[in-house]
Amino acid sequence: MTNDFKKKKSQKEQTFGDVMRSQGVSRRSFLKFCAATASMMAMSPAMIPKIAHALENARRPSVIWLSFQECTGCTESLTRAHTATIESLIFDHISLDYHHTLQAAAGHAAEEAREAAMEENYGKYLLVVDGSIPMGNPGYSTIAGISNYDMLMETAKGAAAIIAVGTCATYGGIPHANPNPTGAVSVNDLIKDKPIINVPGCPPIPVVITGVLTHFLTFGTIPELDHLGRPKVFYGQSIHDRCYRRPFYDKGLFAETFDDEGAKKGWCLYKLGCKGPTTYNACATTKWNNGTSWPIEAGHPCLGCSEPDFWDGGGFYKSLSMPTENITQTAIYTAAGAVAAGVAIGAMNKSKKNSAIAAHDKTTIDDLEK
Amino acid sequence: MSASLEKGINALKEQVDSTVASFFSSCVHCGMCADACLFYTETGCPTATPIHKVEPLRRIWKSEYTLLGRVGKMFGLTAKVDDELLSKWETKVYDHCTLCGRCSMVCPMGIDIALLIQKTREGMAAAGYAPESLIGATKRAVTIGSPMGVKLPALMAQIKHVENDTGLTIPMDVVGAEYMLLLSSMEIMNFPEFIEAIAKIFTKADVSWTISSEAFEATNSGIQIGVADIAAELVQRIVDAAEKLKVKTVISPECGHAYMAIRWEGPNLIGKPFSFKVRHILEILDEFRQDGRLKINGKEEQRLTYHDPCQISRRGGVIEQPRNLIDMFSDNFVEMPDAGKMNWCCGAGGGVSTNERADKVRLKVFQRKKDQLDEIKPDAIISACSNCRIHLEDGLEEYNMDIPLMSLTETLAEHLE
Repeated sequence: MTNDFKKKKSQKEQTFGDVMRSQGVSRRSFLKFCAATASMMAMSPAMIPKIAHALENARRPSVIWLSFQECTGCTESLTRAHTATIESLIFDHISLDYHHTLQAAAGHAAEEAREAAMEENYGKYLLVVDGSIPMGNPGYSTIAGISNYDMLMETAKGAAAIIAVGTCATYGGIPHANPNPTGAVSVNDLIKDKPIINVPGCPPIPVVITGVLTHFLTFGTIPELDHLGRPKVFYGQSIHDRCYRRPFYDKGLFAETFDDEGAKKGWCLYKLGCKGPTTYNACATTKWNNGTSWPIEAGHPCLGCSEPDFWDGGGFYKSLSMPTENITQTAIYTAAGAVAAGVAIGAMNKSKKNSAIAAHDKTTIDDLEK
Repeated sequence: MSASLEKGINALKEQVDSTVASFFSSCVHCGMCADACLFYTETGCPTATPIHKVEPLRRIWKSEYTLLGRVGKMFGLTAKVDDELLSKWETKVYDHCTLCGRCSMVCPMGIDIALLIQKTREGMAAAGYAPESLIGATKRAVTIGSPMGVKLPALMAQIKHVENDTGLTIPMDVVGAEYMLLLSSMEIMNFPEFIEAIAKIFTKADVSWTISSEAFEATNSGIQIGVADIAAELVQRIVDAAEKLKVKTVISPECGHAYMAIRWEGPNLIGKPFSFKVRHILEILDEFRQDGRLKINGKEEQRLTYHDPCQISRRGGVIEQPRNLIDMFSDNFVEMPDAGKMNWCCGAGGGVSTNERADKVRLKVFQRKKDQLDEIKPDAIISACSNCRIHLEDGLEEYNMDIPLMSLTETLAEHLE
């Protein structure tokens, strides 16, 4: 294939390899990206050339991005990369045919673009959703006069798969928090007949999104999911299990307040309400802002933002298992009860055995046969 | 009066104590006891798993002494002990267990399974499920004084032979003697050389000893069949005789269960401490050796090994003494694999040799001893239990092996200066 011929290809026909070369990315750094992706997603090294080959020849998939009841934090998280990375190139590579925050067009013109993309790629496009869907009243959130519910159901019909990005789209998120005034629901509350990948987090880690996209581009399938529909490679382990402060927890060394000696020494934040033990996400390993830091490293307990109803968990600074106030008394009563029960059962057993001994007739040689 | 299920269940209820309860509640069903039992390894039969053999006792514990079991019993959910169960378990408890205690050694939870089997036998016997030949032996032990029916005149005849052969006197009923020797019927009838050997050694060692005409029998069928009342009666006879003769030490002869019965079970059975010491003959001989009372002349040339009788080595702790004694007359001694406290049972202890029904299986499981012997190929085997000796001879004949059996006491006597 000559360069001349390549140039003639329309933008939509370009493969990812073409895009990369046009951006001046060396093959070496591309392969490094493939290796990093394989290890991040716990694949065998044998998969690296397959990823490279698949990515290089992948056609630009059409992506439609719908934003409903959200704060745009998820979009910010994904687009605010500090430097041009291959992750961002992947974003450049996808044909983002509709994203009302990012596109120049608005209103009916924008909707026409969405309808055109849907028609052209029916059954093949990826649908990305951020934000929850209000079911209380369709008027709570509309785009060009179309309710969020109608738009989601219409667009979902022709999608190959749906990626729900952020805690609002995956579990209802903050709009869903008690008392849930808009009747907010998640994508998988409404859609049951399409493969849905949940990428929760408030916001989710950018690399998690690109990892899922890479997987889809490479294999044309969705990655293995956990019981909440989250990709296991990123949500398979708890924050607590991967936390660098875990050794302090194991030794029982806790920060009691935000400015005590323990906090300064970097001890475990469990008693300050850290939800790490019940939260499954990749923060502890991938970190944020190009691997700079993450909440616990910055001295703040994990809020548990990638778990359902994290906003209604009873206080961010309340420890996961605070003992009841009358713990000593309760323990004393329980122990006393257990001792009493033990004594009673022991006495019953003793009397049973004594009656057996009382019933004992001395066995002689005449008693050995029936 | 006769045996009945009701009496058997009552006997099992009596056996449950805190030890039994903690044993049953701590069993983790790992099955390690199976591989420790020669009745499992040589037959491959899973019902020979030691802990499985105590099922009747376990069911009584579960249904009578645990909360869940009692609740279950009310709804008919807890497994019962009935005649069907006991008759099924009779062979497991009596024919497929020699009370060797090897299972107790390997249990990771420290359960003394051999003790539980002994307790299970109490219920089996009271319910009338003891083997016919063991019942017969027990009756003879109580009425005649010996499970083999040996009466005093028979002993006196053997003693007379020994006295004529050696010119030594066998002291009978000597009040105030240091040692009172017990004998097993097997020694009196099959191995009178043992009496001769004792006479020689004790004379050379220059110690005072005697045999009681009222209680010379060392074996205890009550222990084997599992009737504590009868076992206590048999122990009491020895205690009475020892107290009458005012001896300092009672010597258990070369017999495994006799030593266990009189030394370890005895005081518990009669419910009070003895006024005398009880020692195994090997312990006494080793004391003589330490005191320099034994002078040895000449050594055995042949390659010797020692078969550890279970009740003497594993459950009795007499392990070093026989080796010290063999060293006196042998430079060519070789240990069997697993020797000492983990030695494999000959296959006929704990009443199995008395139980004719078990003849076939005891010879089958002898394969384990054969394997041990094949590995070291000794010229002769030394042991210190007449029962092991008889069965080893049977087994060797069955498997066409030509290895002579020797008594440690007798061999030592032959090498005295």
